[in-house]
Amino acid sequence: MRFRSFVAFLAVLSMLAVVPAAHAADGNTVKIGVITSLTGSQAAFGEAHKNGYMIALDEINAKGGVLGKKVELDFYDDQSKPDQAVQGVSKLVDQDHVAMLLGSYSSENTKAIINPVTTHQIPLLIPTATADNVMDSKSPWVFRICAGAAAYAKTWIDFLKKNGDPKTMVIVYEKTNFGQANMQAMKAAATAAGIRVLATEEYEAKAPDYKAVLRRVKDKNPEVIYFCSYLLDATTLMRQSQEVDLNPRYYTAAGTGFSAAEFPTAKGAGKNAEYTLSVSQWLPEAPWPHAKEFDAEYFKRTNTHPQYHAMQAYQSLMTAVQAIANAKSLEAAKIRDALKNIDLKTSAFGPVKFDANDQNQHPVLITQIQGGKYRVVFPADVADAKPIIPAPKWSDRH
Amino acid sequence: MVGFLQACLDGLLIGALYALIGMGLALIFGVMRIVNFAHGAFLMVGMYASWLLFDRFNLNPYLGFIPAGLLLFALGFLVYKALIQPIRERSDFMQILMTTGIALILVDTAQLSFGADYHQTNIELVNRSLHFGPFVMNAASAVSFAIAAVFIIGLQLFVVRTRTGQALRAIAQNRDVAPLMGVNVTRIQGLSFALGLAYAGIAGGLLLPALYLFPSVGEDYTLKAFVIVVLGGMGSIEGAAMGGLVLGVTENVTSLYLGNQWALAVDFLLFLLVLSLKPSGIFGRQRA
Repeated sequence: MRFRSFVAFLAVLSMLAVVPAAHAADGNTVKIGVITSLTGSQAAFGEAHKNGYMIALDEINAKGGVLGKKVELDFYDDQSKPDQAVQGVSKLVDQDHVAMLLGSYSSENTKAIINPVTTHQIPLLIPTATADNVMDSKSPWVFRICAGAAAYAKTWIDFLKKNGDPKTMVIVYEKTNFGQANMQAMKAAATAAGIRVLATEEYEAKAPDYKAVLRRVKDKNPEVIYFCSYLLDATTLMRQSQEVDLNPRYYTAAGTGFSAAEFPTAKGAGKNAEYTLSVSQWLPEAPWPHAKEFDAEYFKRTNTHPQYHAMQAYQSLMTAVQAIANAKSLEAAKIRDALKNIDLKTSAFGPVKFDANDQNQHPVLITQIQGGKYRVVFPADVADAKPIIPAPKWSDRH
Repeated sequence: MVGFLQACLDGLLIGALYALIGMGLALIFGVMRIVNFAHGAFLMVGMYASWLLFDRFNLNPYLGFIPAGLLLFALGFLVYKALIQPIRERSDFMQILMTTGIALILVDTAQLSFGADYHQTNIELVNRSLHFGPFVMNAASAVSFAIAAVFIIGLQLFVVRTRTGQALRAIAQNRDVAPLMGVNVTRIQGLSFALGLAYAGIAGGLLLPALYLFPSVGEDYTLKAFVIVVLGGMGSIEGAAMGGLVLGVTENVTSLYLGNQWALAVDFLLFLLVLSLKPSGIFGRQRA
């Protein structure tokens, strides 16, 4: 009896092993692998990614695809966990034979796939990971379309110097790769610019209570607070900042949670989000062609306006397909070389061209939430509103 | 000093919810000797129930925790009858596999039904604060503390004062002798499992307005529940209540003086210290 059930177990196992083979690539489509966080704590961003990718996909296929074939996206959900992202590389490359990879969402998960991507020798285009260490490997297979933490920090220093020139700062950051990298970049940039960093406060995202952290910040009484936070924590941080009556002159942030579409709405921090300043990489109002059309299409599909994460996903797929078209081949090395030579003078996400380290030099904007909306306040040539500084004290807000 | 007291106050407010979670787990462990690895997942179910009522019928989560608790009570009976009772006398290993399996199924079902997107119940109360001299209290946390206190005392009274409660303690003290004294073990175990889950559901409903909801939200709370139960002495219900409060205060004081990154580390340090130095819990001898 034991033996028989063991045989039955083996039989089931072998059937499972056969099933994926049926999925092997057929000749009529070009498969592009996408790793992102469709579930788990970062699912809101994964969803934005997916929407952006799907809009790009539909536009591409409406124009006939690439190399005479339809483009197909092969999504792998990393569940917001780095080990799952790593498994995604094997699954997409070894089993599904995708032509190249896009992803993942977070810096943590993206950092985890750099080595597997390099050993699999498959081109990877990174849409959203801002931690600069994802580019540290100098792997010839890794390209990044978004601006990174150092670019964020540099933009902040420019902005602060021109807007009140504060002297003290506290950095509050979530403890994974994204938060740490942005904290380090800002700490270095601020110190170099003569801004004293009074403290750096690490926290665990997903906790229900940050009041103790915020009280520590309040004791330091900094002029600037710089948050490096995802969405769920950003929401709670701002609600509890109000509760502990924390009143810095500047609430600033490294994008992400503080520039998510939901953040200024009732689904996020609502009116507690008001006056927060954040970096952004793109807005529907950005002065680039097709930005408005993308916004309209996104709104039609989801009933919300897109933030930069969706655009970065969109433009990553657009750029990937352009590279495949230029390569005239699905060979990994040829696609990689075509990516190296990509030179889009402009796109919905601005110019796209990779430098010697395969990094796209993307300009960083600064936004402020005014009247529940993201307004561009820096740099001056694209600004559509003036920054409100200092942020009013909580007791003066109604 | 004000800072310290404020941190203690915040700790007690959240600690009361930890106490509910821990008491539920302690009840199940005490009466059944089953370590419920699905405790956090059931808490998550309670949160979804309360959220759904808020989202569809605009029911305030501070009322929604009642149907959430009732739902979990019913679910607890079903799960006990269908899944736990058959393996009750089997090895611990089977029970761990079973409850872990239940947790996976619940989390994945939530994911399939509601998606992985997070949800919040932004109610007005959460944004309001109460001031007492130099101290401040979140109004929502104060309400949830008051409700939790009622349920903490209620369970304690139930266990100590009622006949069913006595039967429950009898089983916890000696499962072999209790049936000889006329205690219906199956019925009482079913009841305590259901009640334990109901407490997880109530805690979930009360946590909802302060937190946000996604399918795997319960994972951290399963771990915390273990810490609470160990702090209070395995299986001791009033110990778990105290353990929850201690955990809440420890986390907040640690965050204030050492920074938030140390909060979890100190939780588990406390856990290890209690396990190795005073396995009967910080409040004395082992009992149910």
